[in-house]
Amino acid sequence: MRKFFPVEELARDSRFNQVTMKDRMADPRSALVKDEPRQKSNRLVPSRPDASAAARGLMHGIFVGEIQALEGAGRTCHDFRTAGDSARRAQDDAHGEDSFADAVPFALKLDMARQAWDEARHVEISVKLSDWMGSEIGEFAENTVLFQAACSTDPILRLAGVNRALEGLAIDVFTTMKEFGDLAGDPYLEFCEDWMLADEVTHVKMGSDWLRRVTEHDPDRRKKALEFQSVVDKLFSYGGTRSDSQESPIGLARRFRELAGFTDDEVEDIAEVSLAALEERKASVARMQATAREFAAS
Amino acid sequence: MPCTGVRPHLGGIVADPYKPRAPFAPWDRRELPGLFDVEESARRIGNYKWAEMKLFEALGGWVATVPELDVKMRLGTHCYKHAWHAELWHKRLPELREMNPERLTQPANDAMVRFIEAMTEPEAPEQTIEKLVGVYRVFIPHFIAAYTFHKNNTSQITDAPTIRSLQFILQDEFDDWRDGEMLIQSLIETPEEVDRAAAHQTRLEKLMIEAGGIAGPGSIGGAGAGGAS
Repeated sequence: MRKFFPVEELARDSRFNQVTMKDRMADPRSALVKDEPRQKSNRLVPSRPDASAAARGLMHGIFVGEIQALEGAGRTCHDFRTAGDSARRAQDDAHGEDSFADAVPFALKLDMARQAWDEARHVEISVKLSDWMGSEIGEFAENTVLFQAACSTDPILRLAGVNRALEGLAIDVFTTMKEFGDLAGDPYLEFCEDWMLADEVTHVKMGSDWLRRVTEHDPDRRKKALEFQSVVDKLFSYGGTRSDSQESPIGLARRFRELAGFTDDEVEDIAEVSLAALEERKASVARMQATAREFAAS
Repeated sequence: MPCTGVRPHLGGIVADPYKPRAPFAPWDRRELPGLFDVEESARRIGNYKWAEMKLFEALGGWVATVPELDVKMRLGTHCYKHAWHAELWHKRLPELREMNPERLTQPANDAMVRFIEAMTEPEAPEQTIEKLVGVYRVFIPHFIAAYTFHKNNTSQITDAPTIRSLQFILQDEFDDWRDGEMLIQSLIETPEEVDRAAAHQTRLEKLMIEAGGIAGPGSIGGAGAGGAS
């Protein structure tokens, strides 16, 4: 089995359709793209006219995201040599691979294996919740950008991108869905989201702790990892889907992020990046509308 | 309370708490001697830890390569269980005087390394049967055998902490073996697939025979069972 599995080869059965992030966001059922007159809030709440479809779409997004998170955690168990594993080092040497650059602590791998189990449960939960919400596997497309963040060849960049940026987003998503369940009078949904939220806080904390421990004496590597996290954070703020603004369907779960080891400054940075992404998206839509008006008038 | 020879008032209590009792209850038949000395137990546990590590790494790596959703989820779940087993053995090694657990975290021999390479070779999405056969029809049954031999032959008193871990781990191994075997049976639908599964199992079993088992020759007794009694 190869090290570093390419994203385009992720194995799926025939029900799945994989698309790019841009295609996914252009899906007319997507939360931010609507034909109706503009509303004051895009936040995912039961009173939204498209709440049912939007919630099903988000749940499907959670489902495929959990599959990729499971795959990413699993690959981290496999792709990197455990520090002190001399037999694996000999194998790597025999295959002409750099055997020192990618060694990770045994305990880090144990955390990733634990995360794989947690993500497997989340897949199970989200399949059942999708069914509960009247959706089915493949009803919405899957974009594989989450796994792409799990493809870094530096384990610390991978942890920063996956555990801090993506699992951080999961905290925001589950908080929003939990509140949606509460407002909709759906204790089944609220109950499940709360359990998943607890796991995600743990995963983000794992990422925060390992980032600090492994880069304790390597400030350059830490800086690089935090920059990579910032890139992933921005990527996942695509179109302002997640921000403090009511115009975003998903809010920023500040309290849970704090529990997961984010500093106040880090949360503020993510808030700024998310708002900037929202403004970019709005400017882009305005440009397209102006072009369309010009075209119609000509 | 030390025995002073003075009996406090017993009142209506019939049983005398000061009556001497045997140190081992009549139903406690544990034996003091065992087949393994400290060094032999540690050596085997180092082999177990290495093998469990290779197994959880393989299961984790395969998750992305299998298209079957139910298999994907099971592999993720089992990945953690084997990581936990490796952790239990990692923690046991310093208790057996090995303060540098990595020193004994080794494959039993070169044949075991070749077995792992052959077991982890299948990667294509069409090879789920081979992946599962390697783990659930060869590797895990050999874990069950080696662990059972260790549990039944080590000193039931001096090596009780190892036995406790073995009991937890064996429960997992049996559960996972059952899961895996049922997945294999549900995937095999044609005589050709039966042949594929059997051919892969045969290839891996031959390598395992060469290795002598999870802990090398003597993994389940016979020559090389080793250690002082």
